[in-house]
Amino acid sequence: MSRAIIIGAGHNGLVAGLLLARAGRKVTIVEQRAVVGGLCAASEVHPGYTVPGLLHDSTGVRREIVDSLGLSRFGLAFESEAPSVLAAHSEHKGVVLHAEAKRSRDELEALHRGDGDGYIAWRGFLSRIRGFVSGVLSEKPPLMKPDSIAELWSMGKTGIGLRRLGKPDMLELMRVAPMCAADWLQESFGDSLPAAALAAPAAIGASLGPWSAGTAASLLLYESVRGAEVKGGPAALTQSLQQAFEAAGGAIALESAVARIRVEQGAVCGVELAGGEFIEAPLVVASCDPKRALLELVEPASLPLDVEEQVASIRLRGSTAKVNLALDGPISFRGREGERHARAVVSDHLDDIERAFDAAKYRACSKRPHLDVSIPSVNDASLAPDGKDVVSILAHAAPYHLEGGWNGDARERFGDAVVEMLESVAPGTRARIVAREVLSPADLEDRYGLTGGHIHHGEHALDQLLFMRPTPKLARYKTPIEGLYLGGSGSHPGGGVTCQPGALAAAAALKG
Amino acid sequence: MEGISIQRAARSADLNHFALAGDARKRYILTPMPIRSPFHDRVARYCTSFAWKDWAGYYAASHFGETHLPEYWAFRESCAITDITPLFKYEVKGKDAARLLSRMTVRGFEKLPVGRVAYTCWCDANGKVIDDGTVSRLGEAHFFITAAEPTLSWMSRLSRGFEVELLDVSERTGALSLQGPTSRDVLKQCTDANLDALKFFQTTSAKLDGAGVQISRTGYSGDLGYELWCNAEDALKVWDALMTVGRDYGIEPAGIEALDMVRIEAGFIMLGVDYYSAPHVTIDARRSSPYEIGLDHCVKLDRDSFMGQEALRAEAARGAEWKLVGVEADWLELERLYESYSLPPGLAPAACRDSVPLYLDGKFVGQVTSTVWSPLLKRYICLASVKAQYAALGTKLKLEHTALYERKTVTATVVERPFFEPERKRTP
Repeated sequence: MSRAIIIGAGHNGLVAGLLLARAGRKVTIVEQRAVVGGLCAASEVHPGYTVPGLLHDSTGVRREIVDSLGLSRFGLAFESEAPSVLAAHSEHKGVVLHAEAKRSRDELEALHRGDGDGYIAWRGFLSRIRGFVSGVLSEKPPLMKPDSIAELWSMGKTGIGLRRLGKPDMLELMRVAPMCAADWLQESFGDSLPAAALAAPAAIGASLGPWSAGTAASLLLYESVRGAEVKGGPAALTQSLQQAFEAAGGAIALESAVARIRVEQGAVCGVELAGGEFIEAPLVVASCDPKRALLELVEPASLPLDVEEQVASIRLRGSTAKVNLALDGPISFRGREGERHARAVVSDHLDDIERAFDAAKYRACSKRPHLDVSIPSVNDASLAPDGKDVVSILAHAAPYHLEGGWNGDARERFGDAVVEMLESVAPGTRARIVAREVLSPADLEDRYGLTGGHIHHGEHALDQLLFMRPTPKLARYKTPIEGLYLGGSGSHPGGGVTCQPGALAAAAALKG
Repeated sequence: MEGISIQRAARSADLNHFALAGDARKRYILTPMPIRSPFHDRVARYCTSFAWKDWAGYYAASHFGETHLPEYWAFRESCAITDITPLFKYEVKGKDAARLLSRMTVRGFEKLPVGRVAYTCWCDANGKVIDDGTVSRLGEAHFFITAAEPTLSWMSRLSRGFEVELLDVSERTGALSLQGPTSRDVLKQCTDANLDALKFFQTTSAKLDGAGVQISRTGYSGDLGYELWCNAEDALKVWDALMTVGRDYGIEPAGIEALDMVRIEAGFIMLGVDYYSAPHVTIDARRSSPYEIGLDHCVKLDRDSFMGQEALRAEAARGAEWKLVGVEADWLELERLYESYSLPPGLAPAACRDSVPLYLDGKFVGQVTSTVWSPLLKRYICLASVKAQYAALGTKLKLEHTALYERKTVTATVVERPFFEPERKRTP
């Protein structure tokens, strides 16, 4: 039975490992941390309080993948519908954005006349193109120069899919994809609050603001795969993946950081662990970021110069920090006393997100960061003591390359700014904090091995998506080193908890 | 330390891969052109011809007196001294220095002994030659490289992940070439180096009138000869010492024109004349692989990956399309050709760098790229690039020759290269 090694026990690594194990490979996943789950692994932030991992949004998990893996047998279940998101405001009660648009109509109309219908029309367009876009995302990216009938056929199918959207939607999709999210959303919304709330996912994790070109594409990718959350969140997903993987005969070696991916005569022959142990295998799938895999783990000069230089210029400037809070009471948003909201976004105005990014652009932390808030204890009471909450916040923007460098002071100052923002939309929160954990992009790099602290393993920008992700010559998971594959978020279709890059990488590796 | 230094760390959190030191960059950009060689004050004193020529931004003497011929004869019969400071010069230091050079050039350097010099060339990813030069191993992790063109950026691009320090020492290093049968005697008189023990393509450090110099037994003349490298501030002292001692050994300052004649006799190619640097030309037909310019012996294919390896392996398997050969024109035919116009043979007394076509049965089969009438050998010799099937010794081709405005051809035979190779070049 031929051996395979997966680097990283995150969701993508586990999916790739599971697929290879089921295909009969003897798979070992090597993981540098002491826990399974990668960015999805939950942790205790304070006695009795469990916070999700770095990624707290599981709405992007591809149902086809987890269904085909039979993960329900290993305890995986989904909520019944896509979650609503509270667009909180510092002066009024904000608005709840439901996936089913008409439920938000009245609140939006009250905010600004026409916004309710605008939201319905916007969601309508998204639902019509959803099939096509998610289809593109679930296949390996197209080749620039198709080299076989099968490739041509696959491109042809994509073309037919695009045409089948009908002329108006096809043209609309081609019009909006290269736009910036702000311009696109302002076509539908007169009030900036819903526009800000809907644009935010394009900025989170990225070195981008809503006025950056191409953010509409990033938003389309996010919205087109968005569905219901996994019950128990990303951590529950990786737990079921782990069980399925182990049931398939796979082994996970924890606290086993890779020191070198060993290459001999252009082919991978195994990995050398930091402890000195060598594990031999003719197949290695690296689910860490492409820069780490190809510039640090592989012996220098193993790659052709053009590929090496492309990898070196992959943009991954982390600009999002993570803040975890343990509260000794429930969080309560302005004007929404008594209501429970598991997801909230905090920015009054589109421009607030842009200004938050501006600071990072010039190597400073935003004083008024944008917050992507998850309160998992709303859906799972076991995560916090009775009647109390844990809050997980992705805060934008805090640059990896902070002027003066990251230290305790800088970290806590940014934590204060995050709490200040949260306090502005949920008064009384600050007084309830019993524990706070702030992870700067530099901390994320240290803890998770993310180059540049970038949570998506590479910017979701037009030049780094589809057949250009992570670089044009590496877009098919295969690398110039025989037997070495890239299977993490740095590859198509990108970051977030989708499981898609891992699945596509495993398919590519099995095909050889 | 002076010079431009690029330092690399194997693992750097800084995503900017390298930065030029601020002062070095300023100095580099503000260097006025043309550049003064550190030997200029002395060279200028001899250059009564005022025949200066641009060489990589420096003023270099074409010839010193009324004609270059005395300089040519100094190369062959006594000792010629040439200021070769305009060469680009680099130092590579650090744990991975040998690995970097092995990746960059067509031969490996891991096993080159300290104190040895190797001639090599470097290629792009398609196996086409960028430049050629010598690499000296000065220490286990310390190399000295010469190049015809700026190479720092290329070395830097290839050194990602390596622990190396790259230094451009072009300006701070003065360089002299001392070539000819009496060159060793001159050097012996003024340095403490054991020159009898210094073999061909070896290098040693020495003292010359108190100044530290690096002496390598290398050169571009195909004869016994040495190249000397010193700090720019010691340049005049070194020049004066050599000229003072050299007077008794027939030393002559020599310029580019004489050098060009002797390098053709020695069969050495020149960048921009006999081949073109791959990145500088726009079409593939003008690019050459090492196999096409006579550098087959430099290429070591079976080792860790290096620039152009795959392409060169494929080319080695299928055979190069072009070959560099020596060609000699038939002198009697030339005489007859000129005789038909009632003229004596009219050949320029200098080397010619113009390309001239070669034919066989009226069909174009290649071109000569460097031509010279060798006063020593009494032969009209050329370096030529011909299609591989015409490269065999003895192949008779037709060389275009213009006599009295009219284009004719004369027979040219593929002959052994080098044309001139005295035993003393290699022997102790």
